[in-house]
Amino acid sequence: MPVQTTSRTQLTRANVDRRRRYARRARRGDLLVVLLWTSGAAAAALFLAYGGAGLFGTLGDAVTSIGIITGLVGTDFVLVMLVLAARIPIIDHTIGHDRAVAVHRSLGKPALYLLLAHGIVLLIGYGISSGIDPITEIGPMLALPDMPLAFIGLGLLIAVVVTSLVGVRRKFSYEGWHLIHLLSYIAVAVSLPHQLSVGGVLAGGTVQRVYWIALYVVAFGSIAVYRFLEPALSSLRHSLRVDHVQQVSPGVTSIHFSGRNLRALGSAGGQFYIWRFWTASTWWHSHPISLSAMPTDHHARITVRELGNGSGRISSVPRGSRVSIEGPYGLFTDDARTAPKLAIVAAGIGVTPVRALLEQASLAPGEATILLRAGDASETYLWDEIETIAASKGARLYTMLGKRSRTAPTWMPQADAQRGVTLTSAFPHLLDSDLYICGPSAWLDLVEADARAAGLPAHQIHSERFDW
Amino acid sequence: MRTRAVVTSIFASFAVLVVGWQAGNAASTSVTSSPLASGSTGGNGSTGTVGTGSTGTSGTGTTGATGGTTTTTTGAADGTYTGSSVNTPFGSVQVQVTIASGAITDVGAVHLTDADGRSVQISNHAAPILRTEVLSAQSASVSNVSGATYTTRGYLMSLQSALDQAGF
Repeated sequence: MPVQTTSRTQLTRANVDRRRRYARRARRGDLLVVLLWTSGAAAAALFLAYGGAGLFGTLGDAVTSIGIITGLVGTDFVLVMLVLAARIPIIDHTIGHDRAVAVHRSLGKPALYLLLAHGIVLLIGYGISSGIDPITEIGPMLALPDMPLAFIGLGLLIAVVVTSLVGVRRKFSYEGWHLIHLLSYIAVAVSLPHQLSVGGVLAGGTVQRVYWIALYVVAFGSIAVYRFLEPALSSLRHSLRVDHVQQVSPGVTSIHFSGRNLRALGSAGGQFYIWRFWTASTWWHSHPISLSAMPTDHHARITVRELGNGSGRISSVPRGSRVSIEGPYGLFTDDARTAPKLAIVAAGIGVTPVRALLEQASLAPGEATILLRAGDASETYLWDEIETIAASKGARLYTMLGKRSRTAPTWMPQADAQRGVTLTSAFPHLLDSDLYICGPSAWLDLVEADARAAGLPAHQIHSERFDW
Repeated sequence: MRTRAVVTSIFASFAVLVVGWQAGNAASTSVTSSPLASGSTGGNGSTGTVGTGSTGTSGTGTTGATGGTTTTTTGAADGTYTGSSVNTPFGSVQVQVTIASGAITDVGAVHLTDADGRSVQISNHAAPILRTEVLSAQSASVSNVSGATYTTRGYLMSLQSALDQAGF
């Protein structure tokens, strides 16, 4: 009896800790949202602070001021987008890599529209002031110092945003798209001179100057540090190499790495790294892949399915090849839990982060329920390992084998759907659980929809998708 | 949580904008209220530092003698007068006025707003307009050139100080 009481209190303490961690994370998340919007307002406010109503004295002045404000807010958003793309640890720990990328993406079009408006409205404003039409005004405007560069910058931004539209992006390989996307750094850089010389914004007053310099430093600084410097140093320090490649089933391989002091990377089960294999044919490809086991000091493992050209080639990388990493990223971890119970649904190669997450999680018997799904027996990657871990931690494990129904939209095999299996019948404690879902995007969306329909709040749903 | 973030964002953004607007208005009223032309210190930005060679090269002696009786206007001495240099956020403005036979015959710029490229463009646009208006109005009371508010203000302040020297 006393034993049971102890385990009970431990369980509740874990819950209290979990709730506290979540509350802290939610507060940080709210703070990020507030910072994002307030930075846009601050960009406008700092401009207004050096002129006030006087900036709107005449029609020409008013239009020009509006044009300047749209440019400032647009630039502010572009810089915020750089910050979001920089994979800053605090942001990743707060909202996770994929939420950060989603916010980054959702700001793209508004930022571009603001900057386009900036150009057009200023042409109108300058035109009104000097009594010529906006089209004719293009000439004098281009005659201003640094303006041709600014126009080039805007053109580059248009290219970056257009290639990122969902329909257009599919036509590019990731590398091709990414190369174009890197132009945004150049776009921001070449539009900086006109802000200094024509805008005079940075010369206007101290607070405004300090604000913009700080924003530029934070944006480019965090990109430099967290996208380039830190990953490079960490890769050198841990000196990862391909140790051996092991076939798991046809088309699926586990790649084992050797390295130094790998535990110090601090990866949590369920997190991913962005991998780059330094061989002549693979170095220009980067792959976001989850660890499929917790690393030891000298060993790490990923398990990959040959999908695109890139992932096919990395399973034939020779032993001893150097590997560089960026990461760990993601909130698909035990740490991100908010509820007393744990529910996991994974399909196909989506089992890999689940495998690592389960290995790391400390679970009370009956705390976790796992549901694995595969199209057929050849796709049951790592199921044996998960079975062993589940048994040792007292987790319940269900499996679903079989093709999905082609007629009705369901994430289950046709037979199970017809038997009347639902998410809540598989997970009776669903509403008291965090639901972790990992698998192909279309399938994952269906599980998510079911979970929401069952009344599971958004913060209890944790999905991991690798679509870029 | 989401609503809390949204509400706070709206409130914070609004507050920031209002503070900026108020600060801007406070600053610009102190600019406009500072006295015209020379002497006064304190008004931020627009302190009219009295022009250095303010007397200018006074036109050679002949004080409008030859038959200039018709111009009843003022007892202004003929000559070229340089106004005080007026500071604006976009650079200083200083003008030179030429008085002949008691009338303003020419106004020229010694220095115009040039803090940045746009300011130079605005100055080049505004200067000829202001010159024409001043010549036809024969005073510093001419209307603002839109889009060139600071340049106009500086131009007219400097002009007035030059006219004051001339006793115009």
